[in-house]
Amino acid sequence: MDVALSRNGRRIMRVFFALVVVFLYAPIVILVIFSFNKGSVPTFPLTGFTLHWYHEFLTNSDMQAALKTSAIVAAISSVVAVSLGILASIGLSRSRFRGRGAVTTLVLVPLVVPLVVLGISLLLLFHALGIQLSILTIAIGHVVISLPYTILILLPRLEQIDASLAEAAYDLGAGPFATFRRVTLPLILPAVVSAFLVAFTTSFDEYAVASFLAGSQQTFPLFLYSALRFPSQLPQVIAVAVVVISLTIVVIVAAEVWRRRVETRLEAA
Amino acid sequence: MTQAAAPAPRRRRRLKLATPALLGLPVGWLVVFLIVPAVIVALYSVNELSLFPGPHSFALGGWYRLFHSGFMSLFWKSAQMSLIVSALVVAAAYPLAYFLALSGTRRKYILLLLLIAPFLTSYLLRVLAWKVILSDGGVINTFLVWVHLQAHGHSLSFLLYSRFAVMLVLGYVWLPFVALPIFVTLETLDFRLLEAASDLYASRLQAFLRVTLPLSMPGVVAAFLFVFIPTVGEFVTPSLVGGQAGYMYGNQIVDLFETGFPDWETGAALALFLIGVIAVLTVVFVRFLRIGEARAA
Repeated sequence: MDVALSRNGRRIMRVFFALVVVFLYAPIVILVIFSFNKGSVPTFPLTGFTLHWYHEFLTNSDMQAALKTSAIVAAISSVVAVSLGILASIGLSRSRFRGRGAVTTLVLVPLVVPLVVLGISLLLLFHALGIQLSILTIAIGHVVISLPYTILILLPRLEQIDASLAEAAYDLGAGPFATFRRVTLPLILPAVVSAFLVAFTTSFDEYAVASFLAGSQQTFPLFLYSALRFPSQLPQVIAVAVVVISLTIVVIVAAEVWRRRVETRLEAA
Repeated sequence: MTQAAAPAPRRRRRLKLATPALLGLPVGWLVVFLIVPAVIVALYSVNELSLFPGPHSFALGGWYRLFHSGFMSLFWKSAQMSLIVSALVVAAAYPLAYFLALSGTRRKYILLLLLIAPFLTSYLLRVLAWKVILSDGGVINTFLVWVHLQAHGHSLSFLLYSRFAVMLVLGYVWLPFVALPIFVTLETLDFRLLEAASDLYASRLQAFLRVTLPLSMPGVVAAFLFVFIPTVGEFVTPSLVGGQAGYMYGNQIVDLFETGFPDWETGAALALFLIGVIAVLTVVFVRFLRIGEARAA
């Protein structure tokens, strides 16, 4: 006898699971359908197939500028967040020292700080220091948001690898940088890539904090938000939505599959 | 400790010196861009710093207004909305996680990925999807007219710009993510405990209520907080689909900082109050986890 689920229970849960998946994907499917619809408002009945909206957003220079700004912000913030995340994770994995608990708490605190509060407090900081808002101020905010995620990905991986490998490198005369570059980094590379992707996509999609810290240059989410107020832009925004959603799903699934593979191989070796 | 594992004194010293150097940058970053800003917010809330030039001194006006200008009832409204969303979402996610973790299906990781994938896509675009679906001239209303279930001009206007819309969208956005912590606790559950319960003539329901559910409570509480914390301070979703009726505490904070008549003093008090509530919840949760661990040990 199965102690967790009766046969009927299993059947009901399978149906429930399927219904939830439909609920989760239906809005996305509806976006896909209307991105190909001729009408300029997303309403039934459908009026015919077109690629017009895709063409339109490809030639929309505001949107392209926003995409470029977001790419720059995401690149800067994810590189900084992953670098800081690596430093923090190595520091935390290496030894038990006094204050370790306090440091761990501090690096995880951003996870529970509401974004509206983070955005406003950074705004007040830059205001007090007289720093002009720019893409750098957005990137600074995004590093605070993604740093805990990078540590949550990197730290377990670092704790998995055998500390004696790094010690052996030290014994053979390698300095800390050589040890990191030739021993530690290759072993944690899959986790580093995951952390980078998470930080990049978090920043690329972030609206709340960016809305307080943006200067004259709009990021992509800021552009989307303002475009939502103009119904004439809606169809092409839907087309962009379809492209962005499909791209992120593909990239993230591919990265996860790749990471599993590499880590299994590293463990086998 | 074996001799081989004991590091030479010199190396140990080097490792010790290296730790502060490694942690210095990330800790410094968070002190400058998280702790100091919070202190600045606190200074604004008591008028030690002020948006307006000229003399100003310590005053509790912001805090007074927080408790006496209807902001508290707005907070309760937001907290209620968040509580309902979190409870419903956790209740829906539990059977999903249970099914994946305990039904012995071989494709559980693929199914889990299927469940979580929407969470990884753009937040704003998922909200946009619902705006398209729920609006007066939107997908649901025009569909109902099209199939003659509804007369022209009688659209279901409660669908958008309402509390319902905000709660539906927040639930939609967070549901996939919430299954994850519950799945993790159920996944690590010792299956032999269930078999033992069954051997002792417990029915499936009894085994669930007295073994599985208590052991998965940390995951359930974590899941609940994972939704409650970000939604109680939410302002993006209500500003897009909430209208006046769905206006939340987070919107109020934004408005106090960004409208034509900014009141940073009161806004700062509102922001600190929100952080305080969340801090209390988080600390209680961590205590709860520790007690659970101690009991399990």
